[in-house]
Amino acid sequence: MMLADFGTSYSKFLDLGSPGATPFVVETKELKPSMRVTWATGHNGRRFGEHFVNELTALGRGGAAVIEEEHFVLLDCGSRDIKFIEFRNNRLEDMGWNAECGASMGFTIELLEKYYGLDYTTLAVPATTFSVTCGVLGMSHIFDAVVAGVPVAEAVAMFVKGIAINAYRFAKSPRKLYLSGGLCDNPLFVHSLPCQVIPLGRFLLLEGLKVAMNDKQRKSG
Amino acid sequence: MPDLYHFATPPRNVGIVGVPPLEIIHRLNRDQVRIHDLDEPLVQTALETTTPFVPRVYCAIMRTVVQNAMQMDLDAIFVDVGPGKCDSAGHIATILADILTIPIIRTSNTDQTSFGTPLCASGLPLLEKLQRITAGVTRAVKPGNNPPPCKPTAAFWGVPPRDFSILHLFPDTTHVYGWTRCMENKTPADEALEARYNPAVPTVFFAQSFCAKTALAQFLANRHPHALYLDGDVAASSSTKAKIQAFLELSGVAL
Repeated sequence: MMLADFGTSYSKFLDLGSPGATPFVVETKELKPSMRVTWATGHNGRRFGEHFVNELTALGRGGAAVIEEEHFVLLDCGSRDIKFIEFRNNRLEDMGWNAECGASMGFTIELLEKYYGLDYTTLAVPATTFSVTCGVLGMSHIFDAVVAGVPVAEAVAMFVKGIAINAYRFAKSPRKLYLSGGLCDNPLFVHSLPCQVIPLGRFLLLEGLKVAMNDKQRKSG
Repeated sequence: MPDLYHFATPPRNVGIVGVPPLEIIHRLNRDQVRIHDLDEPLVQTALETTTPFVPRVYCAIMRTVVQNAMQMDLDAIFVDVGPGKCDSAGHIATILADILTIPIIRTSNTDQTSFGTPLCASGLPLLEKLQRITAGVTRAVKPGNNPPPCKPTAAFWGVPPRDFSILHLFPDTTHVYGWTRCMENKTPADEALEARYNPAVPTVFFAQSFCAKTALAQFLANRHPHALYLDGDVAASSSTKAKIQAFLELSGVAL
């Protein structure tokens, strides 16, 4: 049985039929329209899955399964949007899904890396930042800064830090933040978050999908 | 209250905005006038056709009122501008009086006689509950055969949303609170009733974007021990629906 998290840029798969198999990633643009999996989550999940679990539910289930704390804030930064879940006393306390003002942040970060040939593992966290609430609109800050003489790498780093701070505030500025999604692998982004950060990787929604699937199968007998 | 019910010729089709006083509805019913609830989407034209008259960033219900009023063949419109509606309704009444040639009659509903809220506490699907409640605004008599009450597992607080599709996401055991409850009770200005909620069940506090009631919805959601505050504009986005689904599922509500 195949599970998948069909994100905007990347799709993550887990084959439960192969014991010990590890999750793997495929670029979403490479997927064939005929692709089908048994259980799916993510933006494109309804297109490809026989059964669908929405991303917030998968995030909450995954966080509750993996994080061994009664109270936590978990932020998922995807290619297209950001979403967070807060649990208090092992119970859902708050949540948010920002698909408009948080639009395309992850996508834009990757786009800039490729366009300018940057390596985020080598960029230092800048002291200053841009005020960024949207990936697309935020890019104009970079171009303005470059025109003003700021080196490209520094301008992009200021942009990434701005995105990180916006995401942090969206998650209600916690002292400790669990992070999931592809940006866990971006050290500039992770270190730009002004709090303690526990990266959980990009496969957390698959874990949550598995929990949700087991729960629904148990209830349906 | 001055007599607002004066027509040179008997009207056949009348629009209402909000919940006009029961006396007005009673007389319209008596005269067999067809009542159209302009708060609901009734015509197929694009909502954008209202932008010359109402800002695009404005309550979707009020924009819908203008859209309906412009497209429908009505003889008069009763706009409730009292404490049971909102300031926006007064401004919309001003605009309608300017762009239409039919009488725009302002009312102020302060009715205090309780009709009861059996639909809000029933086990009907939430969509049907709200359809029946909103349809009831055109009638001055209590409907017979009330559905039996159910034990709640969740609650919906707020106004009837512009997009009813979000109501499919709730279980039948969802009780209704907020202004929708006031609607069924025929007391739209009853602030105490509007502010009531059940702290024992997970509750979605909903308001239309750009509506003054967003403040009350968020305030009450902050006081409620297990709540989701939500606002929605014209159509519910996939993320709005996902939030409701996730909130109910992660709160352990059987769906």
